[in-house]
Amino acid sequence: MRLLRPLIIFAGLIALWQSTVSFLSLPHYILPAPARVAAAWWDRSGSILHHASVTGAEILVGLALGAMLGCLSALTLASYRPARRWLMPMLVVSQSIPVFALAPILVLWLGYGMGSKVAMATLIIYFPVTTAFLDGLRRTEPGWLDLARTMGASRRSILLHLRIPAALPALASGIRVATAIAPIGAVVGEWVGSSAGLGFMMLHANARMQIDVMFAALFTLGVMAVALYYAVDAVLRRFVSWQAETDPSRDHNDARSFPQ
Amino acid sequence: MTANPEPFPRPDTAPSVTLTGARLEFDGVPLFENLDIAVEGGRWTCLLGPSGVGKTSLLRLIAGLTDAAAGAVSCGDGARLDGRIAYMAQQDLLLPWATVLENVMLGHRLRGDRQPRGEEVDRARALLAQVGLASRETERPAALSGGQRQRVALARTLMEDRAIVLMDEPFSAVDAITRYRLQEQAAALLAGRTVLLVTHDPMEALRLGDVVHVMAGHPAHLDRPLRPTGTRPRDPADPKLRELQSDLLRRLAAAEGMS
Amino acid sequence: MTISTARRIAALAGIMLLLIAAMPARAAEPLTVLLDWFVNPDHAPLVIAQQKGYFAKHGLEVELIAPANPNDPPKLVAAGQADIAIGYQPQLVLQVAEGLPLMRIGTLVATPLNCLVVLADGPIATIADLKGRKIGYSVGGFEDALLGAMLEKHGLTLDDVTLVNVNFSLSPALFSGQVDAVIGAFRNFELNQMDIEGRPGRAFYIEEEGVPDYDALILLANKDRLDDPRLRPFLDAMGEAVRYIINYPEESWELFIAAYPDLDDELNRRAWRDTIPRLALRPAALDSSRYRKLSKFLEKRGLIAKAPETSTYAVEID
Repeated sequence: MRLLRPLIIFAGLIALWQSTVSFLSLPHYILPAPARVAAAWWDRSGSILHHASVTGAEILVGLALGAMLGCLSALTLASYRPARRWLMPMLVVSQSIPVFALAPILVLWLGYGMGSKVAMATLIIYFPVTTAFLDGLRRTEPGWLDLARTMGASRRSILLHLRIPAALPALASGIRVATAIAPIGAVVGEWVGSSAGLGFMMLHANARMQIDVMFAALFTLGVMAVALYYAVDAVLRRFVSWQAETDPSRDHNDARSFPQ
Repeated sequence: MTANPEPFPRPDTAPSVTLTGARLEFDGVPLFENLDIAVEGGRWTCLLGPSGVGKTSLLRLIAGLTDAAAGAVSCGDGARLDGRIAYMAQQDLLLPWATVLENVMLGHRLRGDRQPRGEEVDRARALLAQVGLASRETERPAALSGGQRQRVALARTLMEDRAIVLMDEPFSAVDAITRYRLQEQAAALLAGRTVLLVTHDPMEALRLGDVVHVMAGHPAHLDRPLRPTGTRPRDPADPKLRELQSDLLRRLAAAEGMS
Repeated sequence: MTISTARRIAALAGIMLLLIAAMPARAAEPLTVLLDWFVNPDHAPLVIAQQKGYFAKHGLEVELIAPANPNDPPKLVAAGQADIAIGYQPQLVLQVAEGLPLMRIGTLVATPLNCLVVLADGPIATIADLKGRKIGYSVGGFEDALLGAMLEKHGLTLDDVTLVNVNFSLSPALFSGQVDAVIGAFRNFELNQMDIEGRPGRAFYIEEEGVPDYDALILLANKDRLDDPRLRPFLDAMGEAVRYIINYPEESWELFIAAYPDLDDELNRRAWRDTIPRLALRPAALDSSRYRKLSKFLEKRGLIAKAPETSTYAVEID
């Protein structure tokens, strides 16, 4: 069943795609049918895989860098209250600037190579990781902190042995969000200026009205993003294996009649 | 469960703790003011009272976890209290990501001591054996029952090897039978130390306490304590204890009436 | 009021509604024109036709819409979501080869605008100097065809240069030195922009370097909607606007910036001056041979498999 389920979901999505094309009578230059996209993918598989590896590298490096930076900022903000007061508003502002406004500036600074794409991806994912981790660090169980104080623990020790481990589930949530949105940063970076990558390929195909190629690249990006998400999820689960998962769907629907 | 209490250097060496003139406010309303309590050295002092009267706050004040508006804590031997207390709360406070053994050695890890020496690990193992959990040392707290976790917490408290032990309803979250057993183990293993135990169970107070206070009123104050006789843990069937229990229950009822 | 009076009013209202509904529906519907980019002097005839009332005189209500993505207008017209799109002649050939039902019905700008630009004070004096250099381009779809032809004329191939996609920031890429040349710059715009910034450029006109002459901006309609009675009047109104612009360049500039006050700056003034001579004097007229030559060029350079028959995608409307 485990292997069957993703296949069924995949087949369902393809069926939905095909029916959208058929029912809305969409022309192939607006939304090509799955068969056309598959053919385009097959014809250009070499090129697509090459571009996919470029974008994939940008995403992975951006994810690693953004996650690291996010952790460091969260630790800084958690440890120094003045840092929080002064830096937090700036962080929020940095997130509200639309990515495509920042992209050209980054490209001008960092050139048209991989640097600017990695920077874009990093910028996008840095904030979710920071806030998630910071939240976790600030919500440590007060009882543990009390115990630690009576034991004579230093601030550094409390951070290292209590706050950080306790905040790992929150950090994992942040990293999951980051993994889902890192591809956006990389692709937008490519749109602004690049010579390789799936975003670049989509742009090119669109300009040449080769919409089926564009969708083939888009599809590949989607598959990569999904695969990355599940891979990261598996790694995170292993690191936070001690956290009990209490699935809400297992809670009883009706209140049981306990004696009052 | 062994009956070998860890020999703490003779009873009269554990210092007494005195709190004088304490005043604690909550939102401007005094919880207690000008409160004095003397925790006799080497003896168990139990504190009872209605919920919300301030027992936990008083304990936390002595532990140095709360800042009071007024009050001075001092030790009978003149030294400071810092670093001489072990604290055990109502929740087991076990770290879910650490193993049972690592939890017992928490103090060591938090104080940043270098790699634990072999003898320290041995001592932790011995303590675990004394609370009957030697076989569970590599498991995580999630695999243990509530009672077992509280026993690990007890082992952790003992590992601290402090002269003064402050406990806030440490056995209230487990079932009656487990509580009974834990009381016996604590009595054995904490022999000779200065203990302040906050509890809401009158029988527990009488079984374990040498000095039993009831805290009542707004602002709260302590009454003249009961002094059960006999070695702890005392037999609940003992008629003298029964008498004290009725007295205690009467006082508690009156205390409830005051709140 | 009495019942009979109420009935009479209702009847009158009903008749009026019927009359309104019976009026030629098409003439009342606005004609949607999707521009290729934000409004600029290239669109002068459209703006002047609007401002001087030439559209209204021909019974037309025209809506000019600027797209966010220049690749969308032809797709939308092909899908029947808009009436007319401004497109590019070379891209039209690619679009038709991909099966879009588009038809060129008129010309806006009758010369190429594309050029290869380098910094005037830079090391590139001739195209041959581009050997081993970086060339930036915005994604138009056929830069390599243009560049290939231009480089070959000077004994180089595409392998002798590195192409970098800089999207639409052509001049900044040149200024920052990240590329040595850019292709896809519009000679009426980028050159003036660079001049104003104090770093003038030197241009190599593509039609002088081996690329056939073509119409930079053309008007596209859906192939299956050529019987739309509004199309010919639209082109007539455009023609009148072009004549007005040629005869009264200053007055027409004033009309232009009255309609779009934020275009009243040095760059647009200079672009206006350079665009006017390039406007198609007879928007509806078609030079089939010219169109055939360009599509053959694109076929030769491998952008399309086979050059489509000109009459299948370019027509003169009567």
